[in-house]
Amino acid sequence: MSKNSFAAVLANRFGAGVFFVGKVLRFVFFLGFIFFLLKGTNTLAGYTLNQTMFFFLTFNLVDIIAQFLFREVYRFRSLVVSGSFDLVLVKPISALFRSLMGGADILDFFTIPPLLIAIYLMGRSLDPTGIQIFFYLALVINSLFLATAFHIAVISFGIITLEIDHTIMIYRDLVALGRFPVDIYQQPLQGILTYLIPVGIMVTLPAKALMGLVSTQGVLLSFALGIGALLVSFRFWNFALTKYTSASS
Amino acid sequence: MDRAVLVDHLVKDFEVTQKEVGLVGSVRSLFSPKKKAVRALKSVSFSIMQGELVGFIGPNGAGKTTTLKVLSGLLYPTSGLSQVLGYNPWDRKPDYLKKIALVMGQKNQLWWDLPAIETFELNRAIYEIPKRQYKETLDELVTLLDVGKLLKTQVRRLSLGQRMRLELIAALLHRPEVLFLDEPTIGLDILGQEKIRDFVYDYNRKFQATILLTSHNMEDLINLSRRVIVINEGRIIFDGALDELVNRFAKKKIITVYLNKEIDVKEMENIGKVRKVQFPQVVLSVPRTTAAVAAAEILQNFPVGDLTIEEESIEEIIGKVFKGESPTKSKK
Amino acid sequence: MRKYLSVFRISFAREFAYRLNFVMWRVRNVMQIFFVFFLWSSVFSEPGRVVFGYDRDKILTYVFGILILKAVVLSARTVDIAGEISTGDITNFLLKPINYFKYWFTRDISSKALNLSFAAVEAGTLYIILRPPFFLQTDPFLIFAFLVSLVAAVIIFFCLLFLVNLVAFWMPENGWAAQFLFIGILTESLSGGLFPLDILPQVIQKVLYVMPFPYLLFFPLQVYLGKVPAEQVTVGLSISYFWVLALAASLNIVWNKGLRRYEAVGR
Repeated sequence: MSKNSFAAVLANRFGAGVFFVGKVLRFVFFLGFIFFLLKGTNTLAGYTLNQTMFFFLTFNLVDIIAQFLFREVYRFRSLVVSGSFDLVLVKPISALFRSLMGGADILDFFTIPPLLIAIYLMGRSLDPTGIQIFFYLALVINSLFLATAFHIAVISFGIITLEIDHTIMIYRDLVALGRFPVDIYQQPLQGILTYLIPVGIMVTLPAKALMGLVSTQGVLLSFALGIGALLVSFRFWNFALTKYTSASS
Repeated sequence: MDRAVLVDHLVKDFEVTQKEVGLVGSVRSLFSPKKKAVRALKSVSFSIMQGELVGFIGPNGAGKTTTLKVLSGLLYPTSGLSQVLGYNPWDRKPDYLKKIALVMGQKNQLWWDLPAIETFELNRAIYEIPKRQYKETLDELVTLLDVGKLLKTQVRRLSLGQRMRLELIAALLHRPEVLFLDEPTIGLDILGQEKIRDFVYDYNRKFQATILLTSHNMEDLINLSRRVIVINEGRIIFDGALDELVNRFAKKKIITVYLNKEIDVKEMENIGKVRKVQFPQVVLSVPRTTAAVAAAEILQNFPVGDLTIEEESIEEIIGKVFKGESPTKSKK
Repeated sequence: MRKYLSVFRISFAREFAYRLNFVMWRVRNVMQIFFVFFLWSSVFSEPGRVVFGYDRDKILTYVFGILILKAVVLSARTVDIAGEISTGDITNFLLKPINYFKYWFTRDISSKALNLSFAAVEAGTLYIILRPPFFLQTDPFLIFAFLVSLVAAVIIFFCLLFLVNLVAFWMPENGWAAQFLFIGILTESLSGGLFPLDILPQVIQKVLYVMPFPYLLFFPLQVYLGKVPAEQVTVGLSISYFWVLALAASLNIVWNKGLRRYEAVGR
């Protein structure tokens, strides 16, 4: 399935190339912004330049991997509206799997490795212990659980209401609030972002773990939340399927 | 009477990029895309008098739509003369645009999520139509097309046939002197097609508008125009009275029979030339003048489940025109 | 003239018909403002802190100013042009006696009017909740200069957006990509919408001021805030109007070239 996506992307070669350049530029600009900002202020919510950059890099990691895995979600609306979703439901591959994945973008192969290198280098400069590194990796995986749960919720919502594109954009915007550590937000917004819409746990927490700011208890609780979210989202998906009205004309 | 449309040695070329197949091909065309020049109109010439209703017919890709687009100012002619109402269409002068209309089968100008009346009001403003004239024209058109109840409904909730009729109104509110219709009946059912044809005929009579209509459906032409221009592969191969075209080239009609029981097909050969046999379907061609009699004979003598009589396809007719006579007016 | 009034009306009605779309757009705008507001609030959490020549009052005024200015300068329907070209819907407009530029400019104004009304309400509400300080300019010369620069900003953005959309004449499938790059990324980062441009080193700032982007949001706002000395105001205005002329001229040229190429196909 992804092979066809690759070919289609190449066919729109120029567009894809420009898009890629755009994303890289945006990343570089924001990094530049962080750099110049912290040159003037020295700290942000108590974090140093390297730490702030690390928060941003981790945000990108979670965001990009989630997008890489779940690109198909962006096509979900047309799938349902055109009635092709019927065909998906009938085929032997799990409909959930097919709706989430299978739309991988070749360009992600270019963006993920450099990001990983950058994370490695920046993380090393923060001098973490073995446990902290372990917590970081574990929490990143947990973040992907949360991201998966979010995406499942989005497409389930989409089956019921046919409103997907906006929901996805809102989700992306919410996660983007995590470009900086959620500590910058005053309460109650910070609370909401940490517990209710767990952007804080998804994006800020792993980086904090690397810096030694999270206890083992915290890690376990996060996992509980992550797995719990996944289970809830599965239930929601099944519920949504019962509400599915085949909308082809 | 004046000439409304004058076309002389009109040539139009398009540049087409070849896309290659497969992954490797896609990468290759990234660096050196192959381009090809396609000559859509090969020195076309004709003229149309004011008030004429002319049918422009040819197979898909023949150049009909391209001609209309050049005449309405959308496409830039590669060479040659094109003049409508004394204007050069490519200049797209506002005065010129106020006198013409181009209606293309499935290209919508009505705003999708608003009622048609809103688009009409917008057009009134754009074409600067005086209020009283607008009201008169609107009422006439609405009555002619029977859409009174549909004006305030969101366009997207209407059927294709209803939308087509409203699109026609939107295009005619400014009472154009020259009307270009591109495949106006495409996608419509028989009833819908008839309604559109009747309307075009009435409009031509009532407002003395010059109408140039393209189609690849012979039915449109047979019922509407006195004069036809046949175009094929960018060249005009017939320009004359419809009767002449029909008498000379569309001599046959096609009868398709669906049989209830198997029969010896040879027996049918007495009635007409058997073109195709695929039980339960048998296709014959019979002379135009005796088609009705032939059909009656078939119904009497054979176990028929269903029977249809149709015109020959335009492609077949064109083929005959092309083979028989090609009065092209210029050399390549 | 009245034909454009009609266009204004129908564009307004249409944007209203897509209510959900519009509301979502405003929600996202507000979220972005939250982000920027809290970021700077956090930077200036210690009272009396001064960074890059800003204190808390000034920076928060900046943030609110950006919210309003974005609605005025960056709201546009012109983003739809690329789509119209690639589907062939533009054909309908080419057939009508209406000026395509004036048509879209009117639609933009209609969108700006709608967005501004919402932005005003949002700013008002946020003001009551967050109570940022707001600085009111009183110098008539500066107010005048501000309005003049605002006009330039609107026209610059219109031309820029239009030009980028015309790429669709040459690459119907990829118009969106060019738009994403130029408008989404470059404009967002370099116009001052995310951060005031004076946090960047002088060298970079000098380069930026030659480009049209800062004149969209940053320059007008700085003029209003009184942070631009008088001679600089004239220089800045000259550069912004230079861009107005340059972009308008390019627009004309590209438009005519594009029309020639247009094949009026598309479905």
